[in-house]
Amino acid sequence: MHTVITIFKKELIDTLRDRRTLLMMVVIPILLFPVLMAVVFKVQISQIRKAEEKKLRVGVLTYGNAQAFRDSLLSREDLQIREDIRAESTQELIQQDSLDAAILFSEDFDRQVAELEEGKIVLYFKSTKDQNITRSRLRPLINDFEKRLLSERFEKLSLDRKIVSAVRVEEHDVASIKEKVGQVVGGFLPYIFVIFCFLGGMYPAIDLGAGEKERGTLETLLTTPASRFQILVGKFSVIVLAGLVSAAVSMTGLFVAVMQFRSLPIPPELLDVVKNILAPGTLALIFSLLFPLSIFFAACMLSLSIFARSFKEAQSLITPLNIVIIVPVFIALLPGIELNAKTALIPILNVSLAAKEIISGTIAPGLLAEVYVSLVVLAGASLYGCARWFEREKTMFRES
Amino acid sequence: MIVVKQLTKTFKLSRQQKRERGEDLSGSTIDAVREVSFTCTPGRIFTILGPNGAGKTTALRMIATMLKPTSGTITVMGYDVARQPQEIRRRMGFLTGSTGLYGRLTPNELVKYFADLYGMEKNEYQRRREELFALLDMNDFANRRIGKLSSGMRQKVSIVRTMIHDPEVVVFDEPTVGLDVVTSRNIIQLIRSCKDAGKTIVFSTHRMGEVSLLSDDLAIIHKGQLCFNDTYEEFLGRMQTKSVEDEFIRLVEEA
Repeated sequence: MHTVITIFKKELIDTLRDRRTLLMMVVIPILLFPVLMAVVFKVQISQIRKAEEKKLRVGVLTYGNAQAFRDSLLSREDLQIREDIRAESTQELIQQDSLDAAILFSEDFDRQVAELEEGKIVLYFKSTKDQNITRSRLRPLINDFEKRLLSERFEKLSLDRKIVSAVRVEEHDVASIKEKVGQVVGGFLPYIFVIFCFLGGMYPAIDLGAGEKERGTLETLLTTPASRFQILVGKFSVIVLAGLVSAAVSMTGLFVAVMQFRSLPIPPELLDVVKNILAPGTLALIFSLLFPLSIFFAACMLSLSIFARSFKEAQSLITPLNIVIIVPVFIALLPGIELNAKTALIPILNVSLAAKEIISGTIAPGLLAEVYVSLVVLAGASLYGCARWFEREKTMFRES
Repeated sequence: MIVVKQLTKTFKLSRQQKRERGEDLSGSTIDAVREVSFTCTPGRIFTILGPNGAGKTTALRMIATMLKPTSGTITVMGYDVARQPQEIRRRMGFLTGSTGLYGRLTPNELVKYFADLYGMEKNEYQRRREELFALLDMNDFANRRIGKLSSGMRQKVSIVRTMIHDPEVVVFDEPTVGLDVVTSRNIIQLIRSCKDAGKTIVFSTHRMGEVSLLSDDLAIIHKGQLCFNDTYEEFLGRMQTKSVEDEFIRLVEEA
């Protein structure tokens, strides 16, 4: 045990002094979310605000109809009305960005309305521009106009407005906000920490395996009384720790990002849920799932790394694993994929699905136990495989 | 004392290796070392001389318990490599020319690391460390990162790393490869001082100058087999050519 601790301590110091590892393990995960969210939110908000405050250039053709509506449009300060347009060229004008939208009345609009028919109004807009805010600014004006026409109509016919609605539907969603957020965030969060659990351990794994070969230090280590298994466990622990730290740091980054945007119009219930997710109990449960998974990752990466002759070769062997890991995590994001007796046995996918349910607060203890058992078996088997791999002369002294 | 008897190491050839070697090798294995026997006695320098790829490193790695012999036996200080590898490693120092160091550690940290791996007592470690650091004049850079040291300084760290646990047996596998004259001299001095201290020394090289400078006993290895194994004096006495180098080439070509 003393030897394992000696190796662990040395490898930890060595790893913490490596800038590449620190970058991957701490800096990127902690900065990713705050920076990403800051950039996305700020850009989006400023765009929306700009679109909302912009004076819209609207082409209006009434053909002498709806005089009151036309006057109300002309009196608005947030609209610049142009009436010198032709019906055929409206679309083109919007495409060319000479206009933001156009409202075209049918030529006999007033007559149709008066005869209790539908009067036709065509609204031209470009949904891909300004996040479709143009439409949402103009539509209420038209709706108000319609309401006014309807009330006039009801009054004329001496009818009660209520007769037009035959059914009133009241909807009650029994899903708690925690569950709803769990479905959305719960799918996304495991994605983050499973990936970082892998990425955080990647550089230490490469450095402690192939790096040791490349620097020519492996031979000297093997001539000490430390057994290969002790060397393996010492190195292994550092990789597992790095993966877990990286996952934890990424969660901290997320927390910082959420706190940073408290001023935004995020519903307080949602913030509560996020805080709930980041509560010690939930996190402890999630990390207890990540622990055996990180052992599995460490075994895979260290096996490949010690097999490689150089840092570069190890990198090219391990990097494709990224994609292999993303697939099950991504599958967990698909609708309809749920934790059951079968999916609880599939590595990575089971962690993603279980984490999702833990966050939603709907995890079944039986399935959680099954996930644990399958993960522990996987971790044990991969550690055993890695130990056997370390004993192989061909692996340790692989030469070109 | 190292006793090597009928030592053989067979490697399986990979598909690529077979292709590269052409048709002269029909089998799927190659003997890197074949039926080699020799004895290294304490207080004498045993030199293994051979061209590149002759099997020197494989033989030394088996003595250092890194590789397992396919057949034959090796005992080091009375311990068997197959059954008591830990005992041997505790008593052995191993230094090669291609040995690297951990660049992000300081000499102090590195030496302490190896002392801990060798299970040294704290007092004993401190005594040895002070002795060796003073001897090699290393106190000035003991706390600087190894990655920032000159090659000469690094070589000194390597030497302390090898000798910190005061090994009874020291294996040098081409220790001067890639070193300049000054740093090579440090190694030569180290080997001599090991001899004076009565340690068992195995030293492999392909440099003739070092052979004549250091050898007490000499083994010449070629294609995995010994073609000479006796004292260096005997080698000189039996020489049929003018120089040590010519004699080595003659023996290798005859084999």
